Amino acid sequence: MLKSILKLCAATLAAILLAAMLLARNINVGVEEMSVHNGDWITTVSAGAADADPLLKTTVAFSALLASTRENSMYYRLAAVDGEPLRLNCRYRIDGRDYDANWWSITAYGWDNYLIPNAEKRYSFNNENVIRRGDGSWVITVAAREQPGNWLPVGPSGAPPWRKLGDYDFDLLMRLYTPGDAYLDAPQSAPLPTVTLEACE
Amino acid sequence: MKLLKWLLAILVAAWAGQYLLAMVAPNLIMEGVYFGGAKQGGYNQLVVRPVPDETARSVVRPSPDLLYASCLYNLEDGPIVIEAPIPERYWSMQFYQMNTDNFAGITNQRADSKRVGSVAKVTLISADDDPANYQGEVIQSPTDRGIMLLRASAIGDRTQQQAALDASRCGPL
Repeated sequence: MLKSILKLCAATLAAILLAAMLLARNINVGVEEMSVHNGDWITTVSAGAADADPLLKTTVAFSALLASTRENSMYYRLAAVDGEPLRLNCRYRIDGRDYDANWWSITAYGWDNYLIPNAEKRYSFNNENVIRRGDGSWVITVAAREQPGNWLPVGPSGAPPWRKLGDYDFDLLMRLYTPGDAYLDAPQSAPLPTVTLEACE
Repeated sequence: MKLLKWLLAILVAAWAGQYLLAMVAPNLIMEGVYFGGAKQGGYNQLVVRPVPDETARSVVRPSPDLLYASCLYNLEDGPIVIEAPIPERYWSMQFYQMNTDNFAGITNQRADSKRVGSVAKVTLISADDDPANYQGEVIQSPTDRGIMLLRASAIGDRTQQQAALDASRCGPL
């Protein structure tokens, strides 16, 4: 009798662990399927919405809890350039201009999904504080070391590296508040900044 | 043969279990946020948060370009009222139930830009309450508990936005 109970407990535990592993895997696969790619940027179109799939809701709960619906704000995330995960030993260049939204911002997040500690206390640029060229366009440099112009500092996250869930060191999130129809109707082709890898040390 | 049966049972249970986990995980995470927030600010009252920095942990992926204020509501003892002056720049009031669904919201954008300069007064009632019993703007929460989040743009001069959040309130009717 005792042996049977122990067997049942062990089997239940194994099933729960396996279920958690399957869920973690399916969250990644499911989100990929529910995501829309726009160059290297990725957006999930149902974040925060009541019609979101349970897998997406779970992912949102882990990575973007209390997200708004896309009519209110849209989020485009970038964690890799040309398939290569963003690295702290590399320098990236973001080229952009203005976008059809009430306002926009680009924020760097650590592997723990929180703002990255840095001496400058600078975590983002937005349409008001970005330094522009004469034609209104702008360039942001993302790097761990100080850069001239619009420098978005990155560095190790507040959480230890063993808590990393992805293969990237940090990622970028572009928020468009009250986005225009181009983003709502065709998020895969609406205008977004271009991110390029400049150099790695 | 017996071992195979056990393994098969574990696999089937795990396959079904992942969907059960997916259904309960958002609620569990929201419960964590709810009780964590309640320890800091209590229920049915507005907590205006400082502009997020690297130490902010109350919201996942906080925006350093937004001002936040939140109210963890509990309607078991009756409706609550949320009053919030609506500033000129981007502002929103969003309601989340305990499974993370964003079930209602008000903004000062698009067709609602006419709200700028007014004070939003929302009566939040439970699912079994009758909206006809209340006047003005009434929102029915699908669950007795949830989170109301005020967001306001913090870019540029944030004086008016900060003042609007500081003057907002959330409390019993």
